[in-house]
Amino acid sequence: MRLCGRELLEYLCQKFGPTGFEDEVADAIIEQLGNDCDKVVKDSFGNVYALVKGESDDRVMISSHMDEVGFMITDIDSDGYIKFSNLGGIDPKVLYGKQVIIGNEKTRINGVIAAKAIHHKRREDRFTVTPIKEMYIDIGAKDADEAKEYVNIGDFGVFNSDFVFFGTDNKYAKGKAIDDRAGCCAMIEVIRKIRENNITLPFNTYFCFTVREEVGLSGARVAAERVKPSRAIILETTAIGDIAGAPAHKRVADVGNGGVISLMDRSTIYNSEFVNFTLETAKNNDVKAQVKRYVSGGNDAGHIHKSGKGVKCVAISMGTRYLHSPACVASMEDYESIRELVFAMLQNMKAEV
Amino acid sequence: MYNTLKQITLVHGVSGHEHRVANTLKEMIAPYCDESYIDALGNLIAVKRGNGENPKKVLLCGHMDEIGFIVNFVEDSGFIRVAPIGGINWVACAFGEVVSDHGVHGVLVPNSGTKASDFAPDLMYIDIGADSKKAAERKVKIGDTFVLKSNLSKLNSTRVVGRPLDDRAGCGIVLEIAKRIAAEPVADDVYYVFSVQEEVGCRGSKTAAFAIEADVSLTFDVTGTGDTAGSKPMAVKLGGGAAIKIKDMSVICDSEIVDKLARLSKEKGIKSQLEILAYGGTDTSSIQMTGSGCRAGAISIPSRYIHSGVEMIDMNDYKDCIDLAVEFIKE
Amino acid sequence: MELKKLIVDLSSLMSIGGFERFEREKLINLVGEHFDDAYLDKVGNQIFVKKCGKENAPRIMLDAHMDEIGMYVTEILDGGFLRVTNIGGIDTGIMQASDVIIYGNSERLFGVVASTPPHLASGSGKDLPKMDELLIDTCLTKEELESKIRIGTPVGFAPKYTEILNNKIMGKSFDDKACAACALYATANTPREELAGDVYVMLSCCEEVTGMVAPGAYALNPNYAMSIDVNLGRVPGTIKEETVELGKGPSITISAVTDRKLTKMLFDIAKEKEIPHQASVSPTHTGTNAVSIQLSREGIPTVDVGLPLASMHTYNEIISLDDTKTLSDLIVAFITDEKIAAEYGKGGLEI
Repeated sequence: MRLCGRELLEYLCQKFGPTGFEDEVADAIIEQLGNDCDKVVKDSFGNVYALVKGESDDRVMISSHMDEVGFMITDIDSDGYIKFSNLGGIDPKVLYGKQVIIGNEKTRINGVIAAKAIHHKRREDRFTVTPIKEMYIDIGAKDADEAKEYVNIGDFGVFNSDFVFFGTDNKYAKGKAIDDRAGCCAMIEVIRKIRENNITLPFNTYFCFTVREEVGLSGARVAAERVKPSRAIILETTAIGDIAGAPAHKRVADVGNGGVISLMDRSTIYNSEFVNFTLETAKNNDVKAQVKRYVSGGNDAGHIHKSGKGVKCVAISMGTRYLHSPACVASMEDYESIRELVFAMLQNMKAEV
Repeated sequence: MYNTLKQITLVHGVSGHEHRVANTLKEMIAPYCDESYIDALGNLIAVKRGNGENPKKVLLCGHMDEIGFIVNFVEDSGFIRVAPIGGINWVACAFGEVVSDHGVHGVLVPNSGTKASDFAPDLMYIDIGADSKKAAERKVKIGDTFVLKSNLSKLNSTRVVGRPLDDRAGCGIVLEIAKRIAAEPVADDVYYVFSVQEEVGCRGSKTAAFAIEADVSLTFDVTGTGDTAGSKPMAVKLGGGAAIKIKDMSVICDSEIVDKLARLSKEKGIKSQLEILAYGGTDTSSIQMTGSGCRAGAISIPSRYIHSGVEMIDMNDYKDCIDLAVEFIKE
Repeated sequence: MELKKLIVDLSSLMSIGGFERFEREKLINLVGEHFDDAYLDKVGNQIFVKKCGKENAPRIMLDAHMDEIGMYVTEILDGGFLRVTNIGGIDTGIMQASDVIIYGNSERLFGVVASTPPHLASGSGKDLPKMDELLIDTCLTKEELESKIRIGTPVGFAPKYTEILNNKIMGKSFDDKACAACALYATANTPREELAGDVYVMLSCCEEVTGMVAPGAYALNPNYAMSIDVNLGRVPGTIKEETVELGKGPSITISAVTDRKLTKMLFDIAKEKEIPHQASVSPTHTGTNAVSIQLSREGIPTVDVGLPLASMHTYNEIISLDDTKTLSDLIVAFITDEKIAAEYGKGGLEI
């Protein structure tokens, strides 16, 4: 079924797609793309390439990653408790007590991340964070044999979290995997807008839905080698700290002020002409955008800009609170700003940028 | 030699913002090369075509970028918060005069009462003399870059001190090599690469090397010395000659290149020393590893007090680096 | 060709990172005759080629790294002592009172790592020395040394191979030359008409330091690959899910950063052919060359395989000869499997 806007975002976010196991998300995206693209291809990594042909052979790449932070099962102990490791950076503080779904290609089962209860902790340990190695997942199995009927080592896990719209005018979204299904969702909607308005873009544009961003071993790296673009736009989410009590210079960006444009992060220094073009396009089209006010994080641009003979990159992020947790919070207004900004950029991009 | 080096040193060029340096060098190298261009990341690449039948490709590299600061945020007070670009030694930079890419002067200072050992980006700011956010924003915007003020001076007949010798000294050497071999018949194609973004992880040289697909490369960058008070054991000395790199933390140089450089140094009477650096890395590694890779070597310029405002080199070493490289290319 | 002998012969060669070509002639003499070609690539990776004889055959890469841990001389001191820096991760806890060989300009010199007598030890005596605080005693004069070696001269641990119970053997540098031996042995002993593709055994350089497999894989451009390296053996004090057992067969790595389908196919083949094996989970990194190969070019499907090994990065690493046999069997199964060749052997995806 063809979904739009909020429904599409929720649908994508609720898919099971931890790093290294993105096929379900890929299938959902391919289904939603329908016949809107000139070509849709999946490579052996699982990256999805959707081509929208343009006037010239010059190639522009737009990329969002499909994977979400999650877990990998490392051991099942004799009592049927399941040991795990995190895929992607997850703060152990958000793990304890959370519901998860574990699975592989065939099975899915519910569980909860548990650890020694506070009653069993030594007094001096009560206020320290329990390390991931001391946590386990409880699926209710009576012993190892029963657990192994449902779970194998090497299986994957994700948070089990309701997707909720809340706050003023219900315009805030809360859920897992907004990083970076929001980017995927925006790319699908941009493609549809191009088609609905019968627009021919100036360049061949490759919408790349990439894998394995969260562990730094980017599917975007091989995607960039395959596409060989001259320029790339990376749609991401970025952790922001606009919460009560945070000092102004550490807030990074503000929810509701539009897409967050990076000047520099830990893996990339962005091309300043391309950044300026992005900001000007936002201004000319009356779309909100903001400059990222802190150097932190990194994204697929880190690999893309260094690929081949070099690629000019710009990153547009959705400012997201509580990133990499089961309760990411972001604004649908920002989502729409980013979608409109990308739509405008693609039409106005000149060869010299 | 010194005047050329000084000219290159005084241009502003923090990692990611090297276009001023690139434009300066492009003009300076123009008479000595057949063609030159600036690539997507901003690397300046100049070529001198060889006259051999099947010319090999020799890549010579020095990086243009310098460490510095990028503006993150402007406080209501008019103070400017910055993030580091490259490996900043905050103690060495504190209470220093800084200059922005638009020529705005200021001082980098820690929050009052901060101990030197606690100096860190969140506890430092730049004071440009503005008394409000509005006044500051007339001169500085987010994304502007600052550096510790550039300068270069002579201590005596051979030793010079200032910044950023890392790695404008390398750029200067590549430029001098181009001058020296411009009129000479050289069999191989020589690519002069002035790379970007070395200080943030050798990013520029990667794409430049990918495009060139060199057979052999030599990188010119500064290296530490073991001859300062309290320094870790290291055999390299200031004034000890060109340092032929054997390894650092990012690379093991091609052993045949090391042997060849050592032999040439002996045969031609050029002063040299062997370098094993227990920390740090250079463009050598990215050039060695990119694409199908290439045989990579490096000639380092012995340097004291790297990444401070008082980097020091010896011009005799500088000349030895040039002489040794010229002999290497001729062979 | 006997597997155990090949393992010992290969492991005895001096191949410290940066000096993998030091005894190349010996290496070629050991195995060269079994291959169609043996060449060095641009950055020094040694490649042995065995063709299957079919046209447009898939290119299969087997990677095991040639380099071993060791040291370089950094300073020649009065009294015939040397200071060194480590090439690859070495626990300085094993250093004192060990035998070393200094590979001089034209001869091999013997040396001993000095152990500090108690009355000279600094601090409480409980802290391990740093690498640059250790001394190698050559009992030569400084002048003699200066004529025989230079800064950068490699220093390695002395080879001494001894069998222990349960068909296990100990000695230096099984990491990773025992795996290299298995790859060469498996390929050499497979009749060419049984190969599912042309096999390229890459003995890659500098894995312990900077890793040269990436340019190697880029230049070779195989259709699919197996990375073979040693895996941490289970010993007292280690965590079960982070280790593998000696004697239970090679490990196959399950990871989010290697090819999931290819990994699954290898598990199926091992089961079908009843080759003993064990699963090893490394969620976000393998600590081996597998990821560099996987991410080369447009992505090269790669599976990561391990040989259980105890006492890693010492000069008395322990492996099970049973495991080396089963590892060779697994490699044979991989390079002869037509299903994998059919799935991955085509390449050339148009976007």
